[in-house]
Amino acid sequence: MRIPAIRKALAFVWRDFLNEVSYKSAFVLHVGSLIFSVGIWFFFSAFLQDNLKEKMDSLTGGNLFAFILFGIAPFSYQQVALSAFAHRFREEQVTGTLEAMLVCPTRTSMVIFASALFDFLFTSLRVVLYILVGVGFAHFTTRPISLHMAGLAAALVIFFLMVLTSVGVGIMAAAFVMYFKKGEVLVTLISSASALFGGVFFPAGALPRIVQPLSALLPITYTTDGVRRALLTGEGIVDLLPQIRVLLIFAAVLLPLGLYIFRIALRAARRDGTLVQY
Amino acid sequence: MPAAISVEDLAKSFIKRRSLRDMVTHPLVKAERVTALDGVTLSVAPGEIFGLLGPNGAGKTTLLKILSCLIIQSRGRALVNGYDTLADEMRVKTSVGFVTSDERSFYWRLSGRENLRFFASLYNLPPARAARRCQDLLDRLELTDKADHAFMTYSSGMKQRMAVARALLHDPPILFMDEPTRSLDPLAAKHLRTLVTDSLNRKEGKTILLATHNLSEAEELCSRIAIIHKARIRRMGTLAEVRSWALARERYVIEVSGGDGFAPYRFDGGRVEVDDGAAEGPAPHAVRLRAELDRGGAALTHVLRDLVARGATIVSCTRYEASLQEIFDMTVEEGNKPA
Repeated sequence: MRIPAIRKALAFVWRDFLNEVSYKSAFVLHVGSLIFSVGIWFFFSAFLQDNLKEKMDSLTGGNLFAFILFGIAPFSYQQVALSAFAHRFREEQVTGTLEAMLVCPTRTSMVIFASALFDFLFTSLRVVLYILVGVGFAHFTTRPISLHMAGLAAALVIFFLMVLTSVGVGIMAAAFVMYFKKGEVLVTLISSASALFGGVFFPAGALPRIVQPLSALLPITYTTDGVRRALLTGEGIVDLLPQIRVLLIFAAVLLPLGLYIFRIALRAARRDGTLVQY
Repeated sequence: MPAAISVEDLAKSFIKRRSLRDMVTHPLVKAERVTALDGVTLSVAPGEIFGLLGPNGAGKTTLLKILSCLIIQSRGRALVNGYDTLADEMRVKTSVGFVTSDERSFYWRLSGRENLRFFASLYNLPPARAARRCQDLLDRLELTDKADHAFMTYSSGMKQRMAVARALLHDPPILFMDEPTRSLDPLAAKHLRTLVTDSLNRKEGKTILLATHNLSEAEELCSRIAIIHKARIRRMGTLAEVRSWALARERYVIEVSGGDGFAPYRFDGGRVEVDDGAAEGPAPHAVRLRAELDRGGAALTHVLRDLVARGATIVSCTRYEASLQEIFDMTVEEGNKPA
């Protein structure tokens, strides 16, 4: 990436940071609510863990709270990757700042990518906080979470591939918003399916047999499974090659497809004169 | 010298959006198209202030958006600072500053300075240069006192000056201004017009394309104008040229006293009428006549000689200039007539 492009991207991050912290109470409440939601999952898991011991032992890592924690982390990332581009583009359209940016010598693709950067950084912070708070909660119980740092590299590779895959779909959603002025349906559909069939809150194996094949079609399934194996049992890149391979295929198809659809939508919106309409 | 802006046979039509019901009930009917621009050709010289006039929906904003690379034309070619809007998008955008009257085009919770710094990065200004340039513009546009206050606390006049400051960040040779004084009070509007003419145009030699339906503003600022109506340029030229179209004959108001009564009459060089319904009465004991005469002076000489011969004293004789408003109304009326 060239220096001016990095500078522009940072300008977007700084702008969004200034905007975010200008809502001071919301910023504090956001962090507060994160601690609350981790607490809810912690106590919920403790309740089930003690009562359904046999089933819990079959989970990756054998700890329900850790299982959910490392399901929510990639899921949160996926949510951002899916929705941030469309959401930010829509927001700039509605607030009226999009036109002012598009008359500048900066590519529309840069405007959309960089507008979502802050969301990614903020979510990274949230995910790290989630894990720290979660591990902190568990530390004071009889069932602490032991993280296997040997699997960190594998977890990061899997995370990265899942983000690329989701970015592809997210860009498609932004293209839909740009041209059809609606893109949320696509995001909602994939998000809901991921939450239900993707092994985020419970193992995909717990689903009825008839719907289990659906989980194989979702990148989040391979991500949650891979990240848990990496961080909770210490499996490395070689052990997780099957998950990595599938995510690579998803990324190789969805990212170029997303970019291609975006380019078509951009040209069509400029031709129809609807680029800044909403 | 090559033109700053050159537009050749530019046309743009949009597909009219259909309702879902219409699409279901008439799936095979071809979508209707709305023509926004049709065969527009114009050229703006470097350093010129050129006015685009027209009623709402005439096509002014569509033209500005094509020139800013926000919309792709259906036909024709547009060059800005010598760069093609289709082939050289980034160079076009580097050559142009866009002043919009939309206050919402800023981030309201950020300060004026933070807004300008953000947009400076989009204009590829390195941080140190951006900081200096922002400060220069804040000083020049008298915004320094409130530069670090949230944009939402600014008055309309300050917001509009911020729009000008943003357009000048990269010091472009060409400015597009879309209704820049629309939301300003008369004093703020006057200040902005002075800035445009004295500073931006005369001192810095910037070319300015001004879209407006404020006719007195166009009259005050523009060296040439184009009146757009229903997607086409109906009149174009200097104000004098456009006026000469509007009034094929010259008009005079002649006040006379004495003489043996006046009646309307016609002759080869024009016609003379008695003005009974003047809002302000003529001088005491004087009669006001309105004459519509051929250009060149011969017809006027003929009328004045005739009046003197009839024993009248010429109290005053004033040539009547059509206002831009009248020309505009005539143009719109002409455009509305069925073909």
